[in-house]
Amino acid sequence: MPSLSIQGLTKRYGATVAVDGLSLDVGAGEAVALLGPSGCGKTTTLRMVAGLIEPGDGSIRLDGVDITRQPAYRRGMGYVFQSYALFPHMSVSANVGFGLDERGVGRAERDQRVSQALDLVRLQGLGHRKPKELSGGQQQRVALARALVIKPAVLLLDESLSNLDSKLRDAMRQEIRDIQRALSITTLFVTHDQIEAFTMCDRIAVMEKGRIAQIGSARDIYDDPVSRFVAQFVGRANVLPLTRTGDGLSLAGAPVSVSSVPTGDVDLFIRPQLVKLLAPSEPASGLDRLTGKVTRVSFVGERVEVVVDTAAGRIIVEPPAGTTPPDEGADIGVGWRPADARAFRREDA
Amino acid sequence: MTAIPKSRSLALLALPAALLIVGVYAAPMVGLGRMSFNETGPTGAMVNAFSFDIWAQMLGDDFTWELTLNSLWLSFVATTAALVLGYPLALFLFRTESRFRGLLIVLAVAPMLVSSVVRVFGWLAILGDRGFINFLLMQSGLASAPTRLVYNLTGAAIGLTESLMPYMILALLAGFGRLDRTLEEASASLGAPAWRTFTRVTLPLSLPAILLGWLLCFVLAMSAYVTPKLLGGGRVFLLATEIYDQAITTVNWPLAAALALFTLVVLTLFLGTYSALSRKVQA
Repeated sequence: MPSLSIQGLTKRYGATVAVDGLSLDVGAGEAVALLGPSGCGKTTTLRMVAGLIEPGDGSIRLDGVDITRQPAYRRGMGYVFQSYALFPHMSVSANVGFGLDERGVGRAERDQRVSQALDLVRLQGLGHRKPKELSGGQQQRVALARALVIKPAVLLLDESLSNLDSKLRDAMRQEIRDIQRALSITTLFVTHDQIEAFTMCDRIAVMEKGRIAQIGSARDIYDDPVSRFVAQFVGRANVLPLTRTGDGLSLAGAPVSVSSVPTGDVDLFIRPQLVKLLAPSEPASGLDRLTGKVTRVSFVGERVEVVVDTAAGRIIVEPPAGTTPPDEGADIGVGWRPADARAFRREDA
Repeated sequence: MTAIPKSRSLALLALPAALLIVGVYAAPMVGLGRMSFNETGPTGAMVNAFSFDIWAQMLGDDFTWELTLNSLWLSFVATTAALVLGYPLALFLFRTESRFRGLLIVLAVAPMLVSSVVRVFGWLAILGDRGFINFLLMQSGLASAPTRLVYNLTGAAIGLTESLMPYMILALLAGFGRLDRTLEEASASLGAPAWRTFTRVTLPLSLPAILLGWLLCFVLAMSAYVTPKLLGGGRVFLLATEIYDQAITTVNWPLAAALALFTLVVLTLFLGTYSALSRKVQA
């Protein structure tokens, strides 16, 4: 499996810059997600890699070979479209065999590989159907089989699961991940859904305004976001305004400590899972703490969410499973380890 | 308000159109049918009768079959030419993201706004012996004598093609519904160069549009009169021109009526076969 290397990739549409000098390396057999809100340039990047959009600047290399100006049909990328883009006038088998026909694969081998690919995505025996006779999930599998059967240099997935309902999406996530690992296909995956990015990829590139804001493992990005944008886009965070005092920072009058504080006005970020619930007067050594009142306790599926109003603002706490949640209206303390908190510059919103 | 059953209220919507069709189409057609069984007296006047003489005379005449073949052939050639010329244009108009798209579509169908007589004179100026094309051919030394481009089947075909094109383009635009850029991208990503993508994806998906446009224009071509008459210069003999001649020049109304019904039968048979075939092709 080849490796993909993107250097300084740029695309402008008139005055707007869709992709702004993006550089990214995807190792052989590695799965990398481009994660970002809509309009961040992630799909544009993917389409440039596929050759469906001409890059303005920069280069795309496949195992060191420059393919920046190569037409899409010569690149051998397996592209799975958001809308699946199955050919409505062809049977499932003909759809999957399309790329093999273009490669001049002989009939016997073609039929064999098509049926293997259909096995791989668990669609045995449905080859004679037309795409419109399949469910959304099945269509998705056909699209995947069609992209995999050509033994693509890189598998490109464009929001490929966003049209499925949530149960099916969970199942397909696992399935695609398993296939990707089993065949160790170099994969670039565009999504705005962090769960998809977290569960399906080795590394995640969080994109903001045509650039990569942060790249790393799911753990790195979740635990150690480098910017306010990443902290807010990936996972949830409590955001509390900090005030500068003579020698440090304070939160509603109480001194707090945060490592690496940027200049200017800053906010404190703390993940709901990292906030502990304390008795109102409980001494908490080593924790920064606030007191407040429980305003709401809600069961959100498998976890409990406790909303606490404090002098510094509203804090959402997710206590570990098994803890008895406090009563609504009760006085309570909240605390966190200073190492778990981050400070980011306030945005003029 | 009284509640009207749904099916009945829907049928009411069709009533005005149905009345109009019965009044101005069905009734005259019955009259035409009746007329075709009349006879022509020795003075040339129509005599009320009920005989099959006219039909026997018409069907037994080789000239009728020659007219039929001429009409079918000219319609086939002009319709196919209009399709070949109109398809790229329609595809461009369908695809373009230009802000002038609306204007371009209007321009493409604008020839319909000009009377066909006026357009024919335009073609005469271009195609005639002393017309624009022959002038170029002779001045450039490519030809020493003018090429006959009008007052024959060629001229009729050229003029008819041009008059069909706006309809063809509109029909194609209406039928291009299933065409989707993403499908062509998928084809390219799977390794198909542009022309393979066209033959394997674009063309098959536009087949419904092609079949529709061809059908519509063929019907129009079969019934076209002014353009083939004037550009054919009286040397192109078609069912439409013959019906006119029999009705107006020779004043043989029973024969004109029989020819008109005969044309209708030919067209119906042709269209029946066509739609059966196109259903098969699309299945």
